Amino acid sequence: MISRQSIIVAKWEFLRFFKWKQQLISYLLMMAVMAAVALWSYFTDESRKIYRIAVPAEFTISNTEQFQFQRPTIALDEQLAQLKAGESWHGVITLNTTESDQYSVVLHTLAAKKWQQQLETELADYFRQQYATKLQLTPAQLAQLQQPLALDYAYLDENFKGKDTPEKMIALGVLILLFIGLSTAFGQVLLSITGEKQQRVTEQLYAIVTPQQWMDGKVLGHSLSAMKAMLTSALVMLLVFIVVSVVIRDDGVNLSWLNWGVLAWLVPFALLGVLLSACFMGAIAASIDDPNTSGKGAVMMITWLPMLFTYLVIDSPTGTAMTILSWLPLTSFAAMPVKMAMVELPWWQPALSLLLLVAAVWWIRRVAGRIFLRGMQMYGKEPSWGQIVGWALSNKAD
Amino acid sequence: MQLIVTAISKDYGDIAAVRQVSFQINSGDIFALLGPNGAGKSSIIRMLVGMTRPDSGSILVSHQQEHYDHVPRRLLGYLPEDRGLYPDKSIEKNLLYLAQLHGLTKQKALQEMAHWLDVFELTERRSEDLKQLSKGNQQKVQLIAAVLHQPALVILDEPFSGLDPINQEKVVTFLKALKARGMTVILSAHQMAMVEKLADHMLLMAQGKAILAGTLADIKQQAGSQRQMVISCAGPVVAEQLQQWLPELEIDMQSSTRFVLKLTAAQNVSAILQQLVSQIELTQVEMQTADLHQLYLTAMAEHQLREQA
Repeated sequence: MISRQSIIVAKWEFLRFFKWKQQLISYLLMMAVMAAVALWSYFTDESRKIYRIAVPAEFTISNTEQFQFQRPTIALDEQLAQLKAGESWHGVITLNTTESDQYSVVLHTLAAKKWQQQLETELADYFRQQYATKLQLTPAQLAQLQQPLALDYAYLDENFKGKDTPEKMIALGVLILLFIGLSTAFGQVLLSITGEKQQRVTEQLYAIVTPQQWMDGKVLGHSLSAMKAMLTSALVMLLVFIVVSVVIRDDGVNLSWLNWGVLAWLVPFALLGVLLSACFMGAIAASIDDPNTSGKGAVMMITWLPMLFTYLVIDSPTGTAMTILSWLPLTSFAAMPVKMAMVELPWWQPALSLLLLVAAVWWIRRVAGRIFLRGMQMYGKEPSWGQIVGWALSNKAD
Repeated sequence: MQLIVTAISKDYGDIAAVRQVSFQINSGDIFALLGPNGAGKSSIIRMLVGMTRPDSGSILVSHQQEHYDHVPRRLLGYLPEDRGLYPDKSIEKNLLYLAQLHGLTKQKALQEMAHWLDVFELTERRSEDLKQLSKGNQQKVQLIAAVLHQPALVILDEPFSGLDPINQEKVVTFLKALKARGMTVILSAHQMAMVEKLADHMLLMAQGKAILAGTLADIKQQAGSQRQMVISCAGPVVAEQLQQWLPELEIDMQSSTRFVLKLTAAQNVSAILQQLVSQIELTQVEMQTADLHQLYLTAMAEHQLREQA
C-alpha cells in the first residue's frame, strides 16, 4: 500500500514540475512556429507561379497551369543571353537525339530551383508519350502500362484484424504518447533525484520517511507528470485532428474510428508501463552520485527500447518477436496493446500479461527503494553495476 | 526519552570510524559530541538517525514506557551535517512540506512555523525562495525544519557552523528553548564556548574513541582540573629566579613583569601566594580555571601522545 508520506512526496514532486503557465506558453510557441512554417511555405511555394520555358519548335508539349512552353524563333545563343539577362524565360530547353534514338534533353537555367523538379515530371510524361507514339501504342495501352499493381490481401487467420486498421493507428498513437511520457519522466526523475542528492536534501528526508516511501512518492509523482504530458499531448493531437477535419478538409468531426474496447485495455498497460519505467529510472538515478561525471544516466534511456522494439515488429503482430515482447513484463506495456489492436486475443492473454506487469512494477519499486538506501549509505561513492545487481537480487530487509 | 548507547562500533572498509563508544542521555538533556574532524561524531549521529547500523553494540531508546532498538523517525528531528532544502521553493513551502511529512496538519504546521520564524526574525521573508537567503538564514530555516514537529529528540550536526557570533547566540537561545520545551538535544560542535554554555553532558572523541565524558565539572575533574594563577609584578623579575622560588610549578613568562603559574588540584594557592609576596611585590593576582576549549586542546594533545606511545 502507498503510505500517506509517499502521497505527500508524490504531490510535492508532481507540483514541482506542474507549470501550466510555462506549458501553455510552450504550446503557444509551438503553434506559432507551426504557423510561421505554414506561412513561409505558402509564400515561398513556387508551384503557384507561372514559368515560361523556351522549347525547340518541334516540341509538341502542351502548357500546364505552372508551365508555359514557348517556341522562340531566335537563335539559341540569343535565347540564352535573354535567359541570363533575366528577360523572357525561366528556362531554355535544348534537345539532341542520340545514335540509339534516345532523347538527350538539356535544361538551361540560372540556378537550381524547386520548380525544376515539377518540370522534370512534365517532361518525363511528355517523352513517355513520345515513345508510346513511336511504338504505336494507343493511349489506353499506355495508361495500362502506367497502372500500378492492385494487390489485395486476403488473411485466413480470423483473429488478425487487418494491416492498417484504425486500431493500429491508435496503438501507434499510444506508442508515441508513451515515448512523450517517458521522455518527460526521464528528465524529471534524473533532475529530481540527483538534484536532491546534490542539494543534500536526501539525508534530511531520510530522517523523516523511509527510503521506500521516498522512492514510491518520487515514482508516483513523476508518473503523474508523465501521464499529464501524455494526456495533454493526446488532447493536442485530438485538437489538431479536429482542426484538420473541420477547417482544412471541411468535414464534420468523426470519432467513430476510436475503439473504446481497445482503449480500455491500452490505458492500464500505459499507466503500468509509465510506473515500471519510472521505477527503473528512479533506481538508476538513485545510484548516481554526480550526474556530471556519472555515465549511468544514459542507461535510463533503456526504457525507450520497448517502444522501439515494438515499432520494429509492428507489421508482424502474430510473429514470435511480438509474442515474446507482449509477454515479457519489461516490454509488454508497449507490445501487448499494439498486438491487441491488430489481433483478436482471448481475454486471459492481456489479463495475464497485465498481471505479470503489475508483479514487475512491484518488484522493481522495491529494488529502487533498496538501491536508494544502499547508495545513500555509500556517502559520495557511486556503487558499481555489480553492487547494484547484488542489491536488486538481495532479499535482505531494508 | 532516554537514550542508552552501549559499546557501538562502526567500520567503513579499513577505517574504524567508531570504536566501542558508550554514553547515556536523559530526557531533556543537551548532550554535546565534541572532537576534531574525523573523530567519529557524524558516524555516531548517522547511527542514531538510523542511516547506518552499528557493526556491534546497541542503541536503546525509551520513550513513554515504549522501548526501541533505534530512534523512531516520529520522535526524531534532524539537522544533517550536509545542509539542504529546496532552493527554488519558498521558506514557507519548504517548511510546510517537511512538517506535513512529519505528520503535522497544515494548520498545526503553519502555527508552529509562525512561532519559529518569529524567533529567528524570518517572518517577513517567509515567501522568499531559499536561494535568496544568506547562508546563515538558510541555516536557521534548516534548524526550524528540524523542530517544527516538536520531536522528543533533536539531533543537530554542527548547528553553529556558518553562523556569525550574533546568530550563534541566537542558536544558543533556540537550543535553550528546545530544552525548556522538554526536548532532548544531541549536538556536535567545534564552538567550545557555545557548548560550555549549553551542554549538560558531553563526550569528547578522537579517532573514533571516547576520550572524556560527563558534565563539564566531570570533564574538568577528569582532565586534572587545570587552574592557573596570573601574576603581575611591580618590577622586572627573572624567570629562572621565580622558578627557583616555586620549583614545583610550571611557569610561563608572558613579559618580565607578568607570569602564568599552572597549578594542579593538589597545590595550595595560599602557600604559593605567601611564598611570592615574601620575595617580590605583586600588583595583580588573577585565578583562572581552564575553559572547555583549553581542556579540549589538552585532552587532544594527551590523546595524541598516548597514541604515539
